[in-house]
Amino acid sequence: MSLDLIRDILIATVPLLVIFPTLFAFTTWLERKALARIQNRVGPDKVGVPLTRYGGRFSLFGLGQPLADGIKMLFKENIVPRGADRLFHLLAPILALIPAMLVLCFLPLEFPWTKSLLPVQAFLLDSAVIFFFAITGLNTLAVFMAGWASRNKYSLLGGMRAVAQMVSYEIPLVLSAVVVVMMVGSLNAAEIANAQAGWDWFVFTPWGLAAFVIFFIAALAETNRSPFDLPEAESEIIAGYFTEYSGFKFALFFLGEYIAIFAISGLAVTLFLGGGSGPGVAMNLVDQGLATERWVTVSAFPGLAVIWFLVKIFAIIAVMIWLRGTLPRLRVDQLMGFAWKFLLPLSILNIIVAGFAWHAQQQASGTVKAIIWVVCLLILYATAKGLDQLNRPNVRPREYKYAE
Amino acid sequence: MSEQIAFWMLSAIAVLGALVAVRKRNLIHGVFALMIFFAALSVLFLLLLAEFIAAVQILVYIGAVGILLLFAIMLTERVTGDDDRRMTSRGWFWGFAVAAAVFVILLLPVIQQLPSPEAAQTIDPSVKELGHKLMNPYVVTLEVLALLLTAALIGAVTAAQGVRMPKEEDSQE
Repeated sequence: MSLDLIRDILIATVPLLVIFPTLFAFTTWLERKALARIQNRVGPDKVGVPLTRYGGRFSLFGLGQPLADGIKMLFKENIVPRGADRLFHLLAPILALIPAMLVLCFLPLEFPWTKSLLPVQAFLLDSAVIFFFAITGLNTLAVFMAGWASRNKYSLLGGMRAVAQMVSYEIPLVLSAVVVVMMVGSLNAAEIANAQAGWDWFVFTPWGLAAFVIFFIAALAETNRSPFDLPEAESEIIAGYFTEYSGFKFALFFLGEYIAIFAISGLAVTLFLGGGSGPGVAMNLVDQGLATERWVTVSAFPGLAVIWFLVKIFAIIAVMIWLRGTLPRLRVDQLMGFAWKFLLPLSILNIIVAGFAWHAQQQASGTVKAIIWVVCLLILYATAKGLDQLNRPNVRPREYKYAE
Repeated sequence: MSEQIAFWMLSAIAVLGALVAVRKRNLIHGVFALMIFFAALSVLFLLLLAEFIAAVQILVYIGAVGILLLFAIMLTERVTGDDDRRMTSRGWFWGFAVAAAVFVILLLPVIQQLPSPEAAQTIDPSVKELGHKLMNPYVVTLEVLALLLTAALIGAVTAAQGVRMPKEEDSQE
C-alpha cells in the first residue's frame, strides 16, 4: 500500500471523525438549552471559557458545558455489575459507535479538500443507500448486546424493546427511500443529491413529501428519539439498556446515538432535501456538459455545499429537539400498531403512486403534470386519513357497573 | 499486495469467527461470533468488488438472520444466559463425514479447472447491470420469488394467529 493512498485515506476520513463529534458536543448543548427553554428553565449557563480566569465571567451561554461534561465522564468510575458479561459489556458501546461513524462516509459531503481523492471516489458507491441501511441496522445489535450483557431486568427489557422497535421501523424507513431511488434510477447518494439540483428537491413533490414524513418518523424511531424513546424510557424501565452504564462507556453510547442521528438526518437531506444544493451552489453540471465527473459542484466559495448540507441537518435536528420537548412517549402497542398498520401501508401505496405518476409524467405538459400532482396528493392524503380512521381505538364512554 | 494482506486477515477472522460460533457453549456469544463471520465474509465480497452482494450480506445475514437468531434464543426457555451443560455430540463422525462430503462436492468444479481461467476481468458486477438484469430477463423469476415470500409471510401470520375458538360472546356482537 503506497503512502499516498494512506495519506488520502486519512485526509478523507479524519475530518469526518473530527467534525461530527465536535458537532455532537454542540448539539448536546443546543438540546439542553432548547429543552430548558421549552420547559421554562434556563439550562446550562455557567460554564464559560475553560482553563482561563474568565471561566465564570464570560459564560458564553454555557457553551463550555459539553467540554465539562466530557471531562466529568472521563473521570467517573466505571461500574460493571458482578453478574454482567464483562466482554460484551465493554464491547457494546464500541459496537454502537462504529456503524454510526461508518455510515458517515456514505453521505455525499463534498469537502473542499476531497475534490479528487481516490478513497472519496471509492465511497461514492453505486449502492451507497443500501449500504447505509445495512450498516445502520447493526446498531440494533449493539443495543441488544448492552441490554443482555448488563444482566439487569430493565436493561434486557430495554434491549428487547429496542430490537422490536428498530426491526419494525426499518421497513417503512427503507420503503420511503425506495421512492426516491425509483425516481432517480440510482442508489448512488451523490447521484441522488445531484438529481435535485437547484430547487428540484423531492420534498416538493407529493410522493416525496409523503416519503419524507414517513422517513422522518421512522428515523426518529430508529434512533430512539422521543416520542419513540421506549427502549430508554427513564420513567418506566430506568433508562433501559443504559441502566448499568456509567462514565465513559455511557458517553460512548451517547456519542454513538447522536452520530447516528447526524447520519440519518444526513441521509434524509440527501434523499429529500437536495443534498448540498442551495443558494450559491451550482450542481448537476454533468447533465449540462460542463463536467465529466458524477459529483461536481461549483459554489460561491469552497465548502459552501458542505455548509448547506450541515445547515439542513441541523434544521432536522432542531425539529427533533422540538418534538422531544413537546410530545409524550408512546405506549408499546401504539408503537407497533403505528409502524405496521399506518406507516407500512402508506409507504407501499406511496411507491405505487410514485410509479404511476412517473410514467404518466413522461411526456406530459405543465398543466397535465399539475393535475397529476394534485391527484397524487389527494390519494395520499385520503389514504392517510382513511388509515387513521381505521386504526382509531374503539373507545366508548366509560360504563360504571357498580358505582353511580 | 495490500489486497493479499487484507484477504488473509479477513479469512483468518472469518475462520476464527466460525470456529468460535461452533465451539462456544454460551449461545449469545455464539450468535455474535457468527455475526463476526458474516461481517468478514461481507468485506471479502467487497474486496472482490461485489459491493451489492456485500451490502446484502450485511443486510440479510447480520441484520435479519442474526436478529432472528437472537429473538429465537431469547424466546426459548432454558437456553438464555450461561449454560455449562455439556452439549451432546454423539455421531460426530457422521457429521464430520457429511460436512467433508458437502465441502468436496462444492469445491469439485473449482478443483477440476484448476489452473483457473482468467475470466474474472470481463465480469462487471455493477449494481446498475444487476438491476437491469433483474428487471429485464429475470423479472418473472423475481416476481415468482416475491410471490413465494408473500405467501410465506401470510402463512407465518396465519400460524402466529393460531386457531381462534368460536365464542358465544363473539357471535352475538
